[in-house]
Amino acid sequence: MEIPILSIVTFLPLAGALLFIFINRDKENLLKYLALFISIATFIASLYLFFNFNAQTPDPQFVEKSPWIGYGINYHIGIDGISLYLILLTTFLMPIVILSSWTYIQKRVKEYLIFMFLLQTGIIGVFVALNLFLFYVFWEAMLIPMYFLIGIWGGKRKIYATVKFVLFTMFGSLLMLVAILYMYNLFYKATGTYSLNIFDYYRMILNPSIQVWLFLAFGLAFAIKVPMFPFHTWLPDAHVEAPTAGSVVLAAVLLKMGTYGFLRFALPMFPDALKIFLPVLGVLCIIGIIYGGLMALIQKDVKSLVAYSSVSHMGLIMLAIFALNMEGIVGGIYQMLNHGLSTGALFLCVGILYERSHTRMIKDFGGVSKQMPVFSAFFMVCMLSSVGLPGLNGFVGEILCLFGVFKANKILAILAVTTVILAAAYLLWMFQRVMQGPITNDRVRSFKDLNLREIIYLTPIVILMFWMGIYPQTFLRKMDVSVSNLLNQVNRKEAIFTEAKKENNPPTYIFMEKETKTDSIAKEDKESQ
Amino acid sequence: MNTILALFPLLIIVVASLLVMILEAFFKRENRSYLAYISFLFLIAAAAGCVKFWNKDYSYFDGNLYLSNLSLFFCFILIVATFLVILISMKYLTLQNANYGEYYALLLFALSGMIIMVSSSDLIVIFLGLEVLSLSSYALTGLRREDEKSNEAAVKYFLLGSFASAFLVFGIAFLYGATQTTAIPSIIKELQSGSSVGTLGLVGLGLVVIGFGFKIAVVPFHMWTPDVYQGAPTPITAFFSVGPKAVGFAVLLRIFIPYFQDALESQLMFGLLWIIAAITMIAGNLIALRQTNVKRILAYSSIAHAGYLMVAILAQDTQSLVFYLTAYLFMNIGAFAAVIALGKKDHEYLELDDYKGIGFRYPWIGATFAVFLISLAGFPPTGGFLAKFYVFSAAVRQGLVSLVIIGVLASLVSVFYYLRIIIYMYMKEPSYEVDINIDNPALFLALFLCLYGVLQLGIFPGNILVLIRQAVAALPFL
Repeated sequence: MEIPILSIVTFLPLAGALLFIFINRDKENLLKYLALFISIATFIASLYLFFNFNAQTPDPQFVEKSPWIGYGINYHIGIDGISLYLILLTTFLMPIVILSSWTYIQKRVKEYLIFMFLLQTGIIGVFVALNLFLFYVFWEAMLIPMYFLIGIWGGKRKIYATVKFVLFTMFGSLLMLVAILYMYNLFYKATGTYSLNIFDYYRMILNPSIQVWLFLAFGLAFAIKVPMFPFHTWLPDAHVEAPTAGSVVLAAVLLKMGTYGFLRFALPMFPDALKIFLPVLGVLCIIGIIYGGLMALIQKDVKSLVAYSSVSHMGLIMLAIFALNMEGIVGGIYQMLNHGLSTGALFLCVGILYERSHTRMIKDFGGVSKQMPVFSAFFMVCMLSSVGLPGLNGFVGEILCLFGVFKANKILAILAVTTVILAAAYLLWMFQRVMQGPITNDRVRSFKDLNLREIIYLTPIVILMFWMGIYPQTFLRKMDVSVSNLLNQVNRKEAIFTEAKKENNPPTYIFMEKETKTDSIAKEDKESQ
Repeated sequence: MNTILALFPLLIIVVASLLVMILEAFFKRENRSYLAYISFLFLIAAAAGCVKFWNKDYSYFDGNLYLSNLSLFFCFILIVATFLVILISMKYLTLQNANYGEYYALLLFALSGMIIMVSSSDLIVIFLGLEVLSLSSYALTGLRREDEKSNEAAVKYFLLGSFASAFLVFGIAFLYGATQTTAIPSIIKELQSGSSVGTLGLVGLGLVVIGFGFKIAVVPFHMWTPDVYQGAPTPITAFFSVGPKAVGFAVLLRIFIPYFQDALESQLMFGLLWIIAAITMIAGNLIALRQTNVKRILAYSSIAHAGYLMVAILAQDTQSLVFYLTAYLFMNIGAFAAVIALGKKDHEYLELDDYKGIGFRYPWIGATFAVFLISLAGFPPTGGFLAKFYVFSAAVRQGLVSLVIIGVLASLVSVFYYLRIIIYMYMKEPSYEVDINIDNPALFLALFLCLYGVLQLGIFPGNILVLIRQAVAALPFL
């Protein structure tokens, strides 16, 4: 029997959480070291995925399938070139995040770690699920631990922030649930079998008039998660109030669930609707880019500055994905990883500052680099990576994104370039005010430089930033096949209904023949019932 | 098969209640929990009977008492519910100074009434069962004699319940006048056959809906619910929120699922129930937002859940209805069990402010309560989510997309107030000490069983779904 490596990566954190329930809360050190150990073990297990990933095929790999509830609801997981890196990003950041909260979290350490692990399982589950039901289960279940993380360990307005976060996300996802149910039912009517396998839905092309509604439902859920303007308002609140680790996970991975949702579901399932909404989406992205940048410029709080920079950056990623060409989507995915790293790292840096000063206001700092030269170097690299300096990861991603957008629409591309300019403006200005100049606040003089633990968790991020900036090929080549397959799907499907529309009465749905061996388990399902 | 064995579960329960009533005289007040153990024995025997009779189709009294698989399934979950309610009552009664022997007897009488209701499809027999249930319920509500709230609740429940019963009898009379029968299948057949029945039949049906609308607490027949739920002893509230609701829906599904199959004739009633379902979901959830008493929050939440169950009736999907009721049983009794767990001698903690910091002070109770609330709110991977998934999925299959959208948005509202309790439990610092009596093994057993039920139904519901599928295979029930 093969080792179910993907299940191990997904559920190892959950097992950790269950184990933690039975450990005495007073043994904080045991809990922390065990948590670190489990998270590193998960990361190593996920490296196995990376090294054994076959870059030549667009089909999902490491597939595991087993019947679960019936009626098309199966346990079906697998990864392709798009989800692989998001899983790696999640598992890579988790040990770092745990290290970063070593002293930051002082009360209720046990519960904190349990929720962290539950969150990790939820997030990885979203990226591996190949069954719509399973996907939805993870998508929703992941809200609960995040809700507690912000709500218990958050700042002053934590309750407001966490409730807003949950309600916003729920609003979108409940409508998505209705859309899923609608498609589920449509598939049943069309074929007589129940299926929630996403590959079956890839094959079923719906009439554009239906696609529009389904796209709106799915798109809303994902757009809230990304978040795209004007659904972004939960983000600054959640970011500012969340504990450092929560912000890191939120920015680095949670937001990517939205973009991933677009890539995995909204694009290949509703290509016609996508084309209809493209102009609107493009404009929203541009507004997000500029608005996010301008808002970041005027923030007084470092953390909310980084939060708004997320809005801006995510706008560029979405725009690149909507360019619907190879450069755009590859760039978008690459930029998702970059954003995860650099924004995550920025939040870590803000956390480090906060631990020393218990403030996040820019005006309370100034001249910190004199006291903390090592920190200053790390902070600068992270900041420049976010700005997109050549040689660092952000540059590669941004250039690819902008190439993609330029190919699709030149005006949008020109407007999109503002993201780079604005990022340079708000980040450099912030850096200057916080780190440089004379020390105005006496408290700054008491700051100690980074300790070993902090250096240990910042170093891998910085190394990866250089690696991804200097030799992106390591990562890019495993995406190409999956992305071109995705683009093929989008274009081919759209063509089908353009053809069908020439007749007067286009059907509700058309099934594509299986040209690849997409694994439909609908048939097995029928037998098992 | 016509055999007296069909009476077995019912008789067991009746004998148990009579026995408990007699034995009460011989036990001292401190020792009354023995009565609970006796009840358990009989409940287990009755449950075993239900299991044994599966697929046997026993009937008696000319088919007026008929143990189809569906009836057996309902009997079984009602017995489980009673079992759990007795578990959560044992310590509660001593602590709250309400340790009256007739408590268990009345509870078992109510159960016998419910068993009659779910195993018959004759309206007169159903009415008999309903009255047995109702009379015991009134008495149970007013059990805490010294408590004004309890008395008020009992009177309110009695008055409105009598009205509801009157409406029901009136409706049955109308239906009899229109169709010359009280057997549900024949009534439905007559109603569908068309014009001769006409308005009279429809009015009768409408009155029956009102009668049962009270029992299952759908808007606009829900007014009694919050007060009664608040005033009644908490285990009884748990019982009310599950038992009568389950039987009410068991009867409604017998009437309406066959009736709705003829879409044209049933248009009017369908529209009426559609509206009831929609406003129940909306109003139940919206009003719950403003409550600060946990029992009242749960009362309105149970109204809202009646709305979701109504959607299942409209979707004509027995399977999802039964699954929902099963999941609802565990999560709701579980939630009330957690509320009871946070009590001490002569005092219950029921205001939201009491719950501040409970989650960390009593981690196990807090965590299980949180799981029940999360399940009630419909988050995966709990039974509550899967139940909603099935109900809404069935409704979409019937083309009720707009109702489903109302449903999901209403449940978004519900997320707010369920999470609000969690906010108090975990995210606010306590302003005063709350100390509770934690020496309560029976209650913790109940909490554990409910937790198990909620998670089992949410993660591995396979076996139960198979049972439910077998239970509904015999549609239309006779």
